[in-house]
Amino acid sequence: MSPGRRAFLKATAASVAMPYLIPASAMGNAGRPSPSNRIVMAGIGLGNMGSGDLSSFLGRDDVQYVAVCDVKRDVRNARMNQVNEKYNNKDCKAYNDFREVMARGDIDALHCATPDHWHAIVVIEACRNGKDIYCQKPETKTLREGKLMIDAARRYSRIVSGGSQRVLEDYRAAVDACWSGSKGLVKSINVNVGPFPTDCNKAGEPIPDGFDWNMWLGPAPWAPYHPHRCSGSYNIDGTSWRSFKDYSGGGMTDWGAHHFGGACFALDVRELEPEEVIFHNENGRKYATCRFPNGKLLHHNCPGRGNMAVEGSTESCPSKPVPSYAGTGGIYGDFIDCVKTRKKPFRDIELAAHTATVCHLFLIAYELERSLKWDTAKQQFVNDDEANRLVDVARREPWVI
Amino acid sequence: MTNKETVGVTLAFGATASAVAQADSAAVDNAFTTLKTYDWGADRAALNPIDQAIIATHGDAAARKILEKRLVDALAGGLSRSAQDYVCRKLRVVGTAQSVEALAALLPAEETSHIARFAMERIPDEKAAAALRDALPKVGGKLKPGMIGSLGVRRDAKSIEAISKLLGDPDLQVAQAAAHALGLIGTPAAAQELGTFAKKAPANMKMPVADARLICAEQLLADGAKAEAIALYKELQGDDQPASVKAAAMKGMVTAASRK
Repeated sequence: MSPGRRAFLKATAASVAMPYLIPASAMGNAGRPSPSNRIVMAGIGLGNMGSGDLSSFLGRDDVQYVAVCDVKRDVRNARMNQVNEKYNNKDCKAYNDFREVMARGDIDALHCATPDHWHAIVVIEACRNGKDIYCQKPETKTLREGKLMIDAARRYSRIVSGGSQRVLEDYRAAVDACWSGSKGLVKSINVNVGPFPTDCNKAGEPIPDGFDWNMWLGPAPWAPYHPHRCSGSYNIDGTSWRSFKDYSGGGMTDWGAHHFGGACFALDVRELEPEEVIFHNENGRKYATCRFPNGKLLHHNCPGRGNMAVEGSTESCPSKPVPSYAGTGGIYGDFIDCVKTRKKPFRDIELAAHTATVCHLFLIAYELERSLKWDTAKQQFVNDDEANRLVDVARREPWVI
Repeated sequence: MTNKETVGVTLAFGATASAVAQADSAAVDNAFTTLKTYDWGADRAALNPIDQAIIATHGDAAARKILEKRLVDALAGGLSRSAQDYVCRKLRVVGTAQSVEALAALLPAEETSHIARFAMERIPDEKAAAALRDALPKVGGKLKPGMIGSLGVRRDAKSIEAISKLLGDPDLQVAQAAAHALGLIGTPAAAQELGTFAKKAPANMKMPVADARLICAEQLLADGAKAEAIALYKELQGDDQPASVKAAAMKGMVTAASRK
């Protein structure tokens, strides 16, 4: 929590000379932490996933939710009302432009569930403004963004958590099997996930009233409004932004953040990036493999192998304790606990970004249909000028990172 | 012969290619014909043969040159915004010096400036950087942050002088983009420009400049200029700096000191 806010509260209390009625709940009665011990939060991008995140944070006694931000007026007003009804007051403010939220000195932490093409800008801006942030997965839209987000978090000592709860919760059996040593020294895991993102060339339709279309597009190339282009539906079938290259990596990143994240956890390569992605084309059957510096392999769509299929070995491997969330309340509680303790969260941005890097390396190998070597230190492909062009995209003005 | 090989051969030696290759060549020709009338709402799949030709011609410089020329010619031929968008996306991957003039022609217009940069920012040829530098003083304030940003991402040291002049621009977005770009360029000369401006920066530029200087120090350190990075970190620990910047500079100093 920011010292400024505490100082403000202290100064305000000292200046009040007359009797002042304070609600019991505000003093931390009924088991709720006092205001100075709550994390003051705001949410940016509050559609489908953001709405769920908001409800999770809003349900916590140790969080005081004060602001909502969304480029759709109906969405932000509905979320503002939700917050105000929860607290039975009118304190929550609604914003169209996230930069106004960033400028508020009273906010300690944010959560971000914008479309993916906004994540890096929002996270880096949060770090610059001294705010911790929980960012939905997939955390990055391009390879370059990962390092920039990690650097910003480390530079300003911010807590930045990625957003996949499934990494720990859905693949626990595979993780336990691998970390217990029962599979021996694990060689590889296969993940089956998709589909690939596509270009969107849908014809324009009238922009709905109250929708800031230009802000929704943000750093992405200009395109005419179409409801499928910006729908937050979880379908990846050409009817949601998750389907299209300018805003997402398709199923490869949207579900890949979960599946590859779980696989990297099970393989115990969360702290590594692959140094090679090998493209296979066997009689038209295309699949790919990431190879990590320690030799472990992560396959994508390997023929004959199921999702999360683990390839063990007879080489012995000692068991080790499986890391987990801090605090209570799943991945949200983990983030809040880390905001208080300043410890790294379970899905620290570095680990989360590495998973996203796996997704992007696969995408680029499939797009170019060839194997690629990845220099993890330089964050460049080795001797492949063409692949290096795909490490990042030029952002639409005025957005720069 | 694989599909990849046939398309490559077709593009380079169309008249002598096999029947299969001619079919692929015809598909590419059809796609270029479609491109002339392509617009929002059209079936994107009609352009797929061009996508496939790009994959197929990897490593075949002659075929690539022909393909790139066809894209450039199409761009110069008067296309819809959607078709221009498509071509620029392709030139992002295959563009060379040969594409720069046609792309640069799109930089001054608000409708096409970004999509031209979409290609140009990623084309490694120095001519692309030169064209961005040339365009910078000519474009309006709305487009300047993007132009500055692209030069920053390219770490274009030749643009330091021009970008430095924009640190004091009354348009805050231009000034902030200039500071950030100098941080990304991250050379001793960029650090010096940021340091000079920091002494006179207005209140609303103090944090953007401090942030840029921190980024600059990280770039200097990554490039092996340890002494310059430490000197910069020392300057950022002054009492005139925000607490978050002083803390970041202290952290950076520790990192730099431990670097051999």
